[in-house]
Amino acid sequence: MRAACAALLLLVSCVLHAQPLEHEVKAAFLFKFPSFVEWPREAPGVGSIVIGVAGNDAVAAELEQIAAGRSIQGRPVAVRRLREGERPDGLHVLFLGRGQAARLAEIVRQAPAQPLLIVCEWQGALQQGAVVNFLRDEGRVRFEVSLDSAERRALRISSRMLAVAHNVVQGRL
Amino acid sequence: MRLPGFLRRSVRAKMTAVVVATTLVALLVNAAALVYYTVRDYRSTQLADVRTQAEIFGRASAAALAFNDRTDAQRDLSTLQARPDIEAAALYGPDGTLFASYLRSPGEAVPARAEAPGYRIAGDRVGLFHAVVEKGDAIGTVYIQARYGVRERLLAYLGITAVVLAAALAAALLISAWLQRAVTAPILEVADAARAVVQRRDYTGRAGKSTEDEVGVLADAFNSMLKEVQTREEALRLADRRKDEFLATLAHELRNPLAPIRNALFLMRAAGDNPGATAEARALIERQLAQMVRLVDDLLDVSRITTGKLALRRERVELRSVAQSALEAVESMIRARGHALHVELPPPGLYVNADPTRLAQVFLNLLNNAAKFTDPGGRIDFTVALEDAALVARVRDNGIGIAPAMREEIFDMFAQADRSLERSTMGLGVGLSLARRLVELHGGTIKVRSAGAGRGSEFVVRIPMQPGETRVSPANDPRSRSAGSARRRILLADDNQDFAVSLALVLRGLGNEVRVEHDGAAALAAAGEFQPQIAFLDIGLPKLNGFDLARKLRALGATADTILVAVTGWGQPSDRQKAKEAGFDDYLVKPVEIDRIRALLDGKQ
Repeated sequence: MRAACAALLLLVSCVLHAQPLEHEVKAAFLFKFPSFVEWPREAPGVGSIVIGVAGNDAVAAELEQIAAGRSIQGRPVAVRRLREGERPDGLHVLFLGRGQAARLAEIVRQAPAQPLLIVCEWQGALQQGAVVNFLRDEGRVRFEVSLDSAERRALRISSRMLAVAHNVVQGRL
Repeated sequence: MRLPGFLRRSVRAKMTAVVVATTLVALLVNAAALVYYTVRDYRSTQLADVRTQAEIFGRASAAALAFNDRTDAQRDLSTLQARPDIEAAALYGPDGTLFASYLRSPGEAVPARAEAPGYRIAGDRVGLFHAVVEKGDAIGTVYIQARYGVRERLLAYLGITAVVLAAALAAALLISAWLQRAVTAPILEVADAARAVVQRRDYTGRAGKSTEDEVGVLADAFNSMLKEVQTREEALRLADRRKDEFLATLAHELRNPLAPIRNALFLMRAAGDNPGATAEARALIERQLAQMVRLVDDLLDVSRITTGKLALRRERVELRSVAQSALEAVESMIRARGHALHVELPPPGLYVNADPTRLAQVFLNLLNNAAKFTDPGGRIDFTVALEDAALVARVRDNGIGIAPAMREEIFDMFAQADRSLERSTMGLGVGLSLARRLVELHGGTIKVRSAGAGRGSEFVVRIPMQPGETRVSPANDPRSRSAGSARRRILLADDNQDFAVSLALVLRGLGNEVRVEHDGAAALAAAGEFQPQIAFLDIGLPKLNGFDLARKLRALGATADTILVAVTGWGQPSDRQKAKEAGFDDYLVKPVEIDRIRALLDGKQ
């Protein structure tokens, strides 16, 4: 019985392993978001698109690997790991891993209108001021979007991205 | 279409064929161009449509692809149900694996992996792979497979074209049948007329002319040709009849003198020593012979005229003597018919530039006619004068006259005023024709005036003379050469023995000393010792021809001054010229009349 259970576990893990792992999917999504988002004109224009990562080294490592040598709209993509207490200046996208809720609260308080696509990965992050939040649905990584937060930060998110979002929140904060 | 067969068809069939062929070709080219462009247009529209669809779909599904949302992708794909022409569609991930697909019917299928962007046209399907690019980042591939429909479209167009073609051809045939009547009817009319001419030899018919176009011109030309042919045929028939009549007359005229001559010969044989009867018989023979010689001369002149070989030998001649020689020739006949002759001639010493023989022939023919066509005991007036720098000769009679209708015809060759069998006057019908031709050769005219049949007639010859061509002068000294006594030494060289011997007899009878040779070499040898005063030389002599003989005789001292006379059957001007160059003094054409020889001997005395 134990042996059968072990075999089943092994099989499931193998099947799961055939699927991309969660941090890989999240890194890929982070890399693709800038394609569907428009930053206001006063935001850092030409030059690199900078994606900051805090509190999730696996995603940061995967993202660095994806972004290496690639570009979006002819602009190179740079990945920056944020240290403790570092301000998110010069970033286009900021990914906050689990346990970074305090940092999120601080950023919302310090720079509520900075054109920064804040992406989190815990339940209720949108209510705390995140623009995009990863969640799991039937074992798949999906995301939800807060249009209010996006509007506040002067970000325009493509309707096509909204179409594939699991949930779009507006006026419920 | 085999061309020989086509060429054998009627004009109507050819025109129909031409109309059908041109219409067909025009329509086919038109239809082909139309179908080609329409199909090409349809095809590019169709392809552009598929591409647009792929583009829109790609953009719509970009987020689903990017964020790996199969449900959303599937939902996007199912919107394609609204497009019945799209049979299948699929989305492929960036690595080329199938992400999501849509099949209109279960029978359809999509490729398992993405392929290079572009169209795949297979049969009646078009498939398009289209890369999905989001902000420069390739995130996947869209595949759309649609019904191409070009074949159906093509068939539909071809069907429409066939119907239009049939309708257009029918219309073209109807119109051409209607128009052809206007074109072919006049042609057929001309063709019918032509056929009538060829089959019935009837030149009196005419082609009807109903149009003013080229066919009308053709009909006119055809009609004028017919008219010309008709005229010529009538002229030919007339000439033919005249020739027949002429031949009958000629035979008659040549036969006529033979009976009296035979009678005279019989008389001479029977008379024996009776000198009176013999003389009468000889005179008769001479008259009849002269008549025959004139007939044959006329015949020769006719042949010269018809072959265009009649040429004048103009020289300075005394007009009076020319007129007199004509009078002498006709005098006996005028006397015989009891006509009264009134003559007015120019004074002696009036010279004109003319061919004396031919001019005399003109006068003689006119006088002969006047004598012939005036009943016995009539009156004939003959005047010759210079008026206004022109030689004018008039011959007037009070004879049978000329009906107005005949006034021009009498100058035609072989024309006879009186064609009845009982006619009292005979002739070849060439006299007036010859006279007119000779006058025309002199640059003059001959006119006839007559108050009508039975009221006499007047012929007027008028030959303009250039200033200086006429001259009044005392009679010129003819070239004199001492010929010695009346008894002359005469050398005769001719290979025709009968001619030579008979001529020798005549010359001896005139009291001359005559030597006869039959070839050129012998004649040359004889001349040295005989020293002739006159030599009659044939041109066509054996061993040494007449021209060379003459040159040699001129070179010999003994015969340098001998009068050399060429006697030959050849009377061409070039022969005369050659004779002159060879040293001949005179030139006689066979048959030679004794009178000419006599005159020559007298002249050279």
